[in-house]
Amino acid sequence: MKHQYRLGIDAGGTFTDFILADRKGELRIFKALSTPQDPTQAIRNGLAVIEEETGIAPRELVSNADLCINGTTVGLNALITHTGAKTGLIATKGHEDSIEIRLGHKEDGYRYDPDYPPATMLVPRYLRRGISERVISTGAVHTPLDEDELREACRHFLREGVQSVAISFVWSVLHPDHELRAAQIVREMMPGVPLTVGSQLYPQLREYTRTSTAVVNAYLAPILSRYVQAVDGYFQSLGARQPVRYFQSNGGLALGSVVSDRSVYAINSGPASAPRAALYLGEPYGLKDIITVDMGGTSFDITLTRDGQANVSKNIDFLRYRIGIPMIQVETLGAGGGSIGWIDSMGLMQMGPQSAGSEPGPACYGKGGEMPTTTDANLVLGYLNPQGLVGGRLPLGVEKAREAIRKHLAEPLGISVETAAYGMFTIVNNNMVNAIRRVSVERGYDPRDFVLNCAGGATGAHITALAREMGIGKVLVSKLASGLCAFGQIISDVKYNYMAPIAARLEGAEAAKRLDQTFARLEDRGRAELMADDFAPERIGIRRSLDMRYVGQVHECTVSVDPFPIDEAALDRLKAAFHARHEELYTYAEPHSPVEVVNVESAVSGAVERPARMRIAQGAGAHAALSGTREMIFDASGRKHETPVYDGAKLGAGDVVTGPAVIQEVTTTIVIEPGWVAELDGNGVYVVTATSGAAPAHKQAKALAEA
Amino acid sequence: MTRPKPDPITLSVVRGVLETTQREMTLTLEQTARSSVFNLAHDYSTALFNHTPEMILQGQDIPIHLGSLIPAMKSVAQFFQGDIHEGDLILHNDPAHGGSHIIDTCMYYPVFYQGELVFWTVCKGHLTDIGGPVPAGYNPNATEIYAEGLRIPPVKLWDRGRPRHDVMNLILTNMRARRDQEGDFNALIGACQVGARNLVRLMDKYGKQVVQDCIAELLDMAEAHMRKLIAQVPDGTYTGTAVLEDAGHGFGDMDITATVTIQGDGCHIAISSPPQVPYFINSYEGNSHSGVYLGLMMFAQLPPPYNEGLYRCVTTDMGPRGTLCNAKSPAPHMNCTTTPMETLTDAVRLAFEQAAPAKVSASWGHANGCNIAGWDKRHDEEYVTMVLASIISGAGATASQDGWHACGPECCFGALTSGDIEMLEHSYPIIIHRYSLMQDSGGAGQFRGGSGTCWEVEPLDSPMTLVTFGEGRRIPAMGAAGAKSTLIPPKVGRLEVTRNGQTQVITENVIETIQPGERAANRNPGGGGYGNPYQRPVEKVVEDVRNGLVSLEGARLDYGVVIADAATLAVDHAATARLRAA
Repeated sequence: MKHQYRLGIDAGGTFTDFILADRKGELRIFKALSTPQDPTQAIRNGLAVIEEETGIAPRELVSNADLCINGTTVGLNALITHTGAKTGLIATKGHEDSIEIRLGHKEDGYRYDPDYPPATMLVPRYLRRGISERVISTGAVHTPLDEDELREACRHFLREGVQSVAISFVWSVLHPDHELRAAQIVREMMPGVPLTVGSQLYPQLREYTRTSTAVVNAYLAPILSRYVQAVDGYFQSLGARQPVRYFQSNGGLALGSVVSDRSVYAINSGPASAPRAALYLGEPYGLKDIITVDMGGTSFDITLTRDGQANVSKNIDFLRYRIGIPMIQVETLGAGGGSIGWIDSMGLMQMGPQSAGSEPGPACYGKGGEMPTTTDANLVLGYLNPQGLVGGRLPLGVEKAREAIRKHLAEPLGISVETAAYGMFTIVNNNMVNAIRRVSVERGYDPRDFVLNCAGGATGAHITALAREMGIGKVLVSKLASGLCAFGQIISDVKYNYMAPIAARLEGAEAAKRLDQTFARLEDRGRAELMADDFAPERIGIRRSLDMRYVGQVHECTVSVDPFPIDEAALDRLKAAFHARHEELYTYAEPHSPVEVVNVESAVSGAVERPARMRIAQGAGAHAALSGTREMIFDASGRKHETPVYDGAKLGAGDVVTGPAVIQEVTTTIVIEPGWVAELDGNGVYVVTATSGAAPAHKQAKALAEA
Repeated sequence: MTRPKPDPITLSVVRGVLETTQREMTLTLEQTARSSVFNLAHDYSTALFNHTPEMILQGQDIPIHLGSLIPAMKSVAQFFQGDIHEGDLILHNDPAHGGSHIIDTCMYYPVFYQGELVFWTVCKGHLTDIGGPVPAGYNPNATEIYAEGLRIPPVKLWDRGRPRHDVMNLILTNMRARRDQEGDFNALIGACQVGARNLVRLMDKYGKQVVQDCIAELLDMAEAHMRKLIAQVPDGTYTGTAVLEDAGHGFGDMDITATVTIQGDGCHIAISSPPQVPYFINSYEGNSHSGVYLGLMMFAQLPPPYNEGLYRCVTTDMGPRGTLCNAKSPAPHMNCTTTPMETLTDAVRLAFEQAAPAKVSASWGHANGCNIAGWDKRHDEEYVTMVLASIISGAGATASQDGWHACGPECCFGALTSGDIEMLEHSYPIIIHRYSLMQDSGGAGQFRGGSGTCWEVEPLDSPMTLVTFGEGRRIPAMGAAGAKSTLIPPKVGRLEVTRNGQTQVITENVIETIQPGERAANRNPGGGGYGNPYQRPVEKVVEDVRNGLVSLEGARLDYGVVIADAATLAVDHAATARLRAA
């Protein structure tokens, strides 16, 4: 870091987190209320808070910062609330309905539900125009582009006041000329209207995915570019040395001009920085296989890195819209501090996905919430300090929590309040465990081979219980856990994805040459884009991925490799990587079957210098930080144990806390269950490990069943 | 019963693990199968059974697969009674043993724990082909089941852990597209094993007895739930009759009647149908369970999880043996999962509409689609597939909303996925000229039925055989609560073959050869509407017109809305009021 500061600004639903790093390794978190109506207002407010608390004026901070980084939810919010731009779609005639047909599928879980509505159309049918033109699967032109029809569509859009246009034709990835010519005509006839071209945004096979991705992009582009303009302008006015970088759902940073054009990359950026943060925390220990769990008020986000690489998803449904571009895989579950415990129509106890949110919030907040929530359970179990969360700013009412649990769960089920509270805790943990299987087991990984990393304010109470349920023996909890995603953003690199379809069998010199040239073309573009942004060639890194399958299969499996020159001999290396991945995922490989590659992608990144690590002074032993004891419950019997409580701010490096215990940090509470030991390291990370005496998950479960 | 009451928390946890197990079985099928019917279309189902064997978890996969798995599992277990061992794996497709149609092939894997049979993991998948004279199995000319394909009674594929390669080879030798078939069999086997692994781990963790107690409790809870729903329906006998149209077989239209008798918290559903016919629309008894249960679920509208406890208070009678819905060997049956099952489902739904008018929703479009086959010059090999995109119809409207577009057919209830058109064109030598919604296809009503779809295809460079199946080309999907359509032709399905500029409309099941340069368009019906269409708000009708879902003519005929100006969509309110008053 050449300059004094680095500033990260991560907008969330309720709060916008500000993280300020300085060159000495000091890291501070500030919060301001989010202002969805005018997102730049929250930035101004946050900088005012920083000035108030530190005396550093916004201009002084920004002009002395090497980099200002912003994770924004403006795109996400517009997609959730359906308040994007009025968008028109130009499609191949006969295929203008693919985004409404949605492959003819209704989501699981609502099979017989008469009230579950169809997904809201981002482009209603009267703004979708089919144009005569057709390219076929060989790349040949079957029907030339009818320019008159296209012009008529533009006139229609102009009459209707369309603010953004997407163009997506069938097989345009093999022959983009029709789309490019159509783009020319749209630009002529609709000057100044943002335009998204399917084959440029997402040059991969699958028409529905490409069209849907283009539509989401077009829907958000005007919103993002307006936002970027405001933020860039504000930071320029404060004397910023570098343009603001925006955080993307691919886990990398991007220039404002890029997220304005490729807005779809900005939609789920929030939790996408967790893998980077996890690897940073694990680095001193050589840990590269890490599952990060982030529990907030209403949701629980899971990410995974294996061998230092984050799981990536492509071609997924996000908020009911199909999106193709590579995004960090984030499995989200409706399980948070506000998740409500209830009894379903069959008589089974459930947790969530309904949430009491922050208004009225859990019953113990005393703001009118009557339903029992995860937070209420944790309070009754003694894990949370009744004096309050967030350093005492939010006192909690134990009696209100007990009453809610008694009325809605314990009495109807005929069990004690304590047992019901432990039941709520157990069920929400099991829901989370089942969700963690989706990023691990379903990706071919055994979660027991991973370390669990704690992020988010509400996770600490559950983290050792989750590890126990998963059979994981080591847990990391950073002192920055509650703001870990914001922190992840300021240590991320600039990253862009470049894609191409290829559709070739992995055989012969010709195929090797095509692959090699395709990657070279993609990566030359990437290097040029990053060098124009002042990255020296030695700071540019490349990671390749290939979507491959056995000939005859329909589903591809993605294989990720470091770059190497591809000649005929190198094809064997690629094939070997594919066989291995197939076996890892599906329990078998077919080494003698021919292999084909369908799509390729290069992720090109420019390394950003890391700020210095946090330093914690040597401690004098945990006893010095003991602040008292509380009665806590650790099993379904409901029996209370007098349990020590430590003040995290007073713990020093090398201090060891043996469970059962609770460590209270200002913004999070860490429960160390019996059988676990926590040691604070010099970088501000609690390393929590299971001791040999820890009850294996199955014994605990049996005890529960017998209780 | 002396069974101890399991603690409510473990119960919820076990329920969660069962659902995760089923999900992971389904995922294994989806990701490892070879054929596109499996892979793109999700035409497969998974279920878990206890040792009894009673279904303890029904996947949310294809509804019409799952009802029949209940009698099929019982039949298979009985067939091998006393001869079921650890490491056995049983294959079966025979409708005379509770199967649906023979192209739906089932795999049954007994799960042993400490030497004792505890569970079965089961899955079923629609293969690309099952041998027989017509590729992909649908042979409208068959007069006996023997002319439809390979019939497999329960047979062990593995015997105490030893794969019986000779049996497997016998089966594969009798099927087209062997490479796909091997991949699909592996997928089915893999899914069963993934399920077994999870169940064993569950028992390791909680103990066998606790798990079994929890499962028994889950079955009881489902039973109590369904009984409660049925008890809310006034006692009495209710009947519903739906007409199965003559799809060109010449046996005429047929009535299928469901008689639902409600007494207290129990329910008896009796089906009556005409004698079986020498045409592929007969349903054996096991398959008919699926239609009955689907009609019941359209009334019950329950969220998951689903298990056999739901059906304990329901008794069924599919009518005399040798009738259309209780066929006996050697009746041909290949079309049975759609025809007559969707008509049977409608009959049950109509009977419940009489019994519980507040909980009714309209019928969905019935399946009428096609299979294609031919030679793929690109790889010099034969291709054959069912085209799922060709059966995507509209969903029925409900008491609260319009029907979903493109979500049917009724027998699948939105569980299918039709596959990406570029992937289909990559896999088969075809050009798909159209896959779109159809104007005026949704049934008229206060809530409109969902739109059906049109799928239009041209072979790329060599002749293609196209085999159609199903019905719904003359009688539109039935509405509910007084819904009524006037403009009928766009609401029913048909096949349109265009050769040399001449379009031939076909409403019967046929085998056609289509040459490059010629096109075949398969149209699927929309869903039924709900409530009086004249009560649909005028602005919603105008919105449908703006979106091209309803034509000016449709607005006038179906909804009594007169639009005076096609450009501005201005409504002639006086004329509208006159029409709607009539």
